[in-house]
Amino acid sequence: MADLAANTLSKRAFDQAWPPTALLIGLLVVWELACRALDIAPYILPAPSAIWLAVTTNSAALAFHTGITMFEAVTGFVIGSALGALLGTGFAYSRFLERGFLPFIIAANTIPVVAIAPIIIIWFGHGMASKVAVTAFLSFFPLALNMMKGLQSYDRVVMDVFHIAAATPWQRFWKMRLPGALPYVFVGLKLNVTFSVIGAIVAEFVQADRGLGFVVMTAYRSMAMPRLWAAMLISALMGILFFLVIAALERLFVRWHASVDETR
Amino acid sequence: MVEVSNLSLVYGRGERQVQALDAIDLTIPGGSLVSLIGPSGCGKSTLLRVLGDLLEPTSGKVEINGRTPRAVRLERKTGFVFQEPALLEWRNILHNIALPLELRGVGRAEREAKAQDLIRLVGLEGFETAHPRQLSGGMRQRAAIARALSTSPDILLLDEPFGALDQITRDRLNMELARIHEVTGLTVVLVTHSIREAVLLSDRIVVMTPRPGRISRVVDNDLPRPRSLDSRTHPAFEALVRLGNSELEKGYANG
Repeated sequence: MADLAANTLSKRAFDQAWPPTALLIGLLVVWELACRALDIAPYILPAPSAIWLAVTTNSAALAFHTGITMFEAVTGFVIGSALGALLGTGFAYSRFLERGFLPFIIAANTIPVVAIAPIIIIWFGHGMASKVAVTAFLSFFPLALNMMKGLQSYDRVVMDVFHIAAATPWQRFWKMRLPGALPYVFVGLKLNVTFSVIGAIVAEFVQADRGLGFVVMTAYRSMAMPRLWAAMLISALMGILFFLVIAALERLFVRWHASVDETR
Repeated sequence: MVEVSNLSLVYGRGERQVQALDAIDLTIPGGSLVSLIGPSGCGKSTLLRVLGDLLEPTSGKVEINGRTPRAVRLERKTGFVFQEPALLEWRNILHNIALPLELRGVGRAEREAKAQDLIRLVGLEGFETAHPRQLSGGMRQRAAIARALSTSPDILLLDEPFGALDQITRDRLNMELARIHEVTGLTVVLVTHSIREAVLLSDRIVVMTPRPGRISRVVDNDLPRPRSLDSRTHPAFEALVRLGNSELEKGYANG
């Protein structure tokens, strides 16, 4: 029984994983062959082998810069998400807060991050704190809005059930509204986690002496395109990795929800 | 024993004001099962919600064993079953049934033992760890009934609890309710659209009419107990259904 379950589970994972893997391998082969056959200049499109060479020859430095960006993104994500969750909860519970603040929050959300990043860097200095702040700024709104929506979307009859049971507001929050909001919370977290990598790299573009954004800028200035591609691909992988972590947490916490199918 | 005297409830203000309940007087003897029946807008659900302290009356008085609906609710002595089961999707059936006890602060072992007893009472053995969406509508409503009984209420209020179920499931749950009523001796107030359901289950049928919501007639139901689905073949059954229907039609004619 357990063997059977394990088998079907690994078969399922295999069924899901092989099409994108095959496509990726195919793409890399075609890319490599095209670069060689058509003699494409490396600064236009470096071949996968050239990018890989850029990774291996600079692996220690790239690992250092990756670590910096990862730290900024994760810290900014955590701070931004925590503030977003708090504000979203405030909005859900107070019509005054919602009416008063929400229009400004939405307006602030439309500011392009490249425009506000220099200001934040002036405020928070040239170190990592300013990169964390830009990341937090960017990975703040999605959770604030989804938290509000999630907490407001409770079932009115379930609320009546809690009323009949003479539940305290605290109990209503922890046992009804927050668990019910979790599917929304994870929508917000998935957006935040994607934005967090963007936020960190954009902030490094503006001013930095380390991090993947710094690597991209310096590689661009010296036309070291394989190195630039390497940094770009690493940042993409970082974003995918973060997303998968959040998706795994979602599976763990929101198994009950229809959007997470447990039967297939 | 429930005593309702001169109870009125007005929704809205000014031009838009609706008299949902108008000077209702009603006595429900302790341990009896009373049905409230009538066309939509007759105030039967409103009256039930006042009994459960989900609505405040505009004027008049309600006493349940000498206490206000609020006092009874705050002591967790009110059981309420809604048309939808309204179970928490993220909790299994056992923990859904134990929820009111958990909210009252009863320890885990005690509340789960109680929930287990109720699972047996409503016939959900084997589904303790199932989640609501894995269950049929009838089973979910059984769980909702068990949850309402978890705090050992003084009064059980049911608001069209079987309205969304198919006929066969409905018949079975009717019999479950009759059995639970007989076993527990609870005072039960049932809001229903179905005169046949009302006749089958209740000791007393309260027929209501809309605009404004009033009681048009109270019919005592002497159909012998214990009730079973065979009670429907008793000569008195069809007579009561006819009587109820003619009363209901008067209500529709007025409305």
